Amino acid sequence: MKLALIGVGRGGSRVVDRLVDRESATGRTLCDGNALVFDTTETTLEALEFVPEERRSVFGDIHPNVGDDGLEGDPDLGAEVAREDVEEIRRAFDDLAFTDVDAALVVAGLGGGTGGGAGAIVLEELQTMLEKPVYAVGLLPTDDESDRRIHTAMRSLQSFVTIADNVVCFDNESWRSTVTYDEHAATESADDQDGDDTAVDDDRDEDDTSDPYDEIDDAAARHVHSLFGANELESTTLAENRIDASDIARTLETGGVSTIGQATLELERTDGPLPWLPRPSWLPDALARRLQGEIENNQTDAAAIKRLVRSAVESRLTLPCDVASTHRALVVLSGPPAAVSRKGFESARYWLEQETDTVEILAGDEPLTRSSTITATVLLSNVTTVPRIDDLQARAVAAEREREGDDAGTAATPADAGTNEEFIW
Amino acid sequence: MKLATIGVGNAGSKIIDRMLEFEQETGRNLCRHVLVINSARTDLAKPDYVPEDRRVLIGDTHQKAKGHGVGGDVEVGAEVAKHDIDEIRRAFDDIDIHEVDAILVGAGLGGGTGSGAGPVVIDELQKMYDEPVYGLGILPGEYEGGRPALNAARSLQSFVQKVDNFVAFDNDAWRSRGQTIEEGYEQMNRELAIRLVTLLAAGEIDETEVAENAMDSSDIMRTLDTGGVSSIGYASTTVRTEGGGLLDRFRDEGEALDESTDAAKIKGLVRRAVNSRLTIPCTVSSADRALIILSGPSELISRKGIESARQWLETEADTVDILAGDDPRPNSPELAAVVLLSNVTETPRVDEIQNQAVDAQDKIAELEAVREEEINDLITDDDDELDPVV
Ligand SMILES: Nc1nc2c(ncn2[C@@H]2O[C@H](COP(=O)(O)OP(=O)(O)OP(=O)(O)O)[C@@H](O)[C@H]2O)c(=O)[nH]1
Ligand SMILES: Nc1nc2c(ncn2[C@@H]2O[C@H](COP(=O)(O)OP(=O)(O)OP(=O)(O)O)[C@@H](O)[C@H]2O)c(=O)[nH]1
Ligand SMILES: [Mg+2]
Ligand SMILES: [Mg+2]
Repeated sequence: MKLALIGVGRGGSRVVDRLVDRESATGRTLCDGNALVFDTTETTLEALEFVPEERRSVFGDIHPNVGDDGLEGDPDLGAEVAREDVEEIRRAFDDLAFTDVDAALVVAGLGGGTGGGAGAIVLEELQTMLEKPVYAVGLLPTDDESDRRIHTAMRSLQSFVTIADNVVCFDNESWRSTVTYDEHAATESADDQDGDDTAVDDDRDEDDTSDPYDEIDDAAARHVHSLFGANELESTTLAENRIDASDIARTLETGGVSTIGQATLELERTDGPLPWLPRPSWLPDALARRLQGEIENNQTDAAAIKRLVRSAVESRLTLPCDVASTHRALVVLSGPPAAVSRKGFESARYWLEQETDTVEILAGDEPLTRSSTITATVLLSNVTTVPRIDDLQARAVAAEREREGDDAGTAATPADAGTNEEFIW
Repeated sequence: MKLATIGVGNAGSKIIDRMLEFEQETGRNLCRHVLVINSARTDLAKPDYVPEDRRVLIGDTHQKAKGHGVGGDVEVGAEVAKHDIDEIRRAFDDIDIHEVDAILVGAGLGGGTGSGAGPVVIDELQKMYDEPVYGLGILPGEYEGGRPALNAARSLQSFVQKVDNFVAFDNDAWRSRGQTIEEGYEQMNRELAIRLVTLLAAGEIDETEVAENAMDSSDIMRTLDTGGVSSIGYASTTVRTEGGGLLDRFRDEGEALDESTDAAKIKGLVRRAVNSRLTIPCTVSSADRALIILSGPSELISRKGIESARQWLETEADTVDILAGDDPRPNSPELAAVVLLSNVTETPRVDEIQNQAVDAQDKIAELEAVREEEINDLITDDDDELDPVV
């Protein structure tokens, strides 16, 4: 599926940057140059590497209430400045070839004033402008982020789900434990530097610009790209059951909140002397197999494929959820077609139907003839039992009550609550 | 029979392609016109034997298709076909209907394009032509799940109502272990193509010497006249050595031109065809009419054998409405028996699909009913204290 990719705010822009990188690194088309990022602060956009400079757009920065650090999590201000600068946003859209894409995808950190607040306005704009689906990827905050950001995230989630055709969520909390970034050192150094949020790991060089989110963003980009980029590789092999853009769109048609899971199987090759050379066309099959080694391919494959899909569902999903609450699902098997057992493929799909308790399952393959792995990517669309969201909501409600209490006493404006704002990793 | 062949959707097009392949390999001349129709641009690139200008992309302007298929949605499949009906009609214009005896429309019923667009195409053909329109429908396997079963159960109704006869193929009966995605459906598509072509091409041969017992298109059409769902059985045996001489195995060593042995072998081959894996498993005795065709070198096809095979099938199929004859193929390395069981009314697989479809339909309705409410419950807190941003 070809997408117009739009990042809003720091987190959203960074993930879009990763996606653009991944697209060129893998050759699997995703946006084909149709990428755009917005933020209220210039510095975050300057730090990007792969989105071309002319596709980075700062807005709202001259608004009196917008400081150097952006909106510090104030979504109402974010929505306000986006509305004021809507012409600027529309002008930036002019650079995108919307006719060439199947859908638009807006990526945003939901806890951001820019991502959550302005992001909602960007979604609205796209919906009025396009007849195509407008999807979102919403990044959910970690537990150690401020109440303010969590409150913002739960408010903007409501708007995102209402406005977008589907919101794929990525839960930073669930993924932070996978990061090798030295959390302890980072927190200490953050303390040392008096709350400076661009904490630098002790082990790293002074000018090391690496970010605790780097690895998380890679994971987010990998999941999003595997799903939307399925079958977008210029390949000569035609899939038997191709997953096409319409299949993804139909799965996402439910609206609501969705999640992606993924698992990869390394294929064992019986080692031939010349395993990786391209096979000359005159070389007979049998001989080629002898020389190049054969992908392990026997009756056990059926079980292995089923296990693979199972581990994709049981893997760390982009948003942990009760799988049985899924309304529609889609599974793509990417790998050499000669190694994917049809029986395994069928029983995996059947298993998924039982597990998700819905009959709306689309399954297909993406032939990658020369790949040495098989990857299963599973999209669970409209999952409706999500404890993580309930937890965040509970915290947001508590924050709301506290704020209302405060408001009653003092005349504090929400923006004032922003001292301990930025994330502590 | 001279046929106009139309494949709709991915599976339908692949089967038609295999029919053309088999026909070409065996020097038959069945498909006088061919057309494949699909909503997915990439699937249209698959056929090896269908000329480029006989491939029609539909729904490329439809919001939910745009050349990428219809995502297994029958409604959208039907919608895009209706929308692009003029284009489809234009493609039919090339069919010189005086040159064909009948039209065959093939489709996989589990997806969205074949099952949804197929019936629309058939409606149009029935409006435009007096010639019979037959359907070929591939039934999804149980493991494909509830949605394909629902699509198939619904589409089957439309197909059977609209066509003059419907030949069914059951993917479940034909699935085998250990196949990879790459081999995919190749083998079963080939098996199906052999059956269809051997049956429908009977009598279609440029032979001056016309066998007195030869079957022709009117016999096939008469058998198919019943309407309903039909099944095909097939068995073959190699009768020629590599060098081209007739194999001794069919005529055992030392055996003279003994008519009674040949007759027994013909009958045995027909029995094998009926007892073999049928395109759709069915209770043979539920057939309304039947047709037996022996295809191969005429000197091996004993008239007596055909007659006793016919009598055997009369009992077996519990009908006297059985035509039997031969299809002389002087150079064929094989002798094949193909049996058409027309209007079989007991097909357990169809019942299973219908049951699976009913369950699926209930489940879909259940989820649909709570969808909005569940989404709302998820994104709002219990007491609705949080407000959306916009
Ligand atoms: N995965 C990921 N999440 C991020 C990243 N940066 C921020 N986030 C998340 O996104 C939320 C919003 O933070 P930002 O994106 O920095 O905020 P913003 O959208 O720029 O909005 P303001 O800074 O308030 O104007 C945070 O609460 C984090 O949960 C990132 O690089 N990757
Ligand atoms: N026998 C056989 N069955 C197939 C083949 N390909 C698909 N099928 C079956 O056909 C059904 C429909 O699949 P497709 O033909 O790919 O679907 P389509 O009609 O193109 O519709 P959409 O893909 O939904 O647009 C599947 O559910 C399978 O049961 C094939 O090559 N051979
Ligand atoms: Mg920011
Ligand atoms: Mg298709």
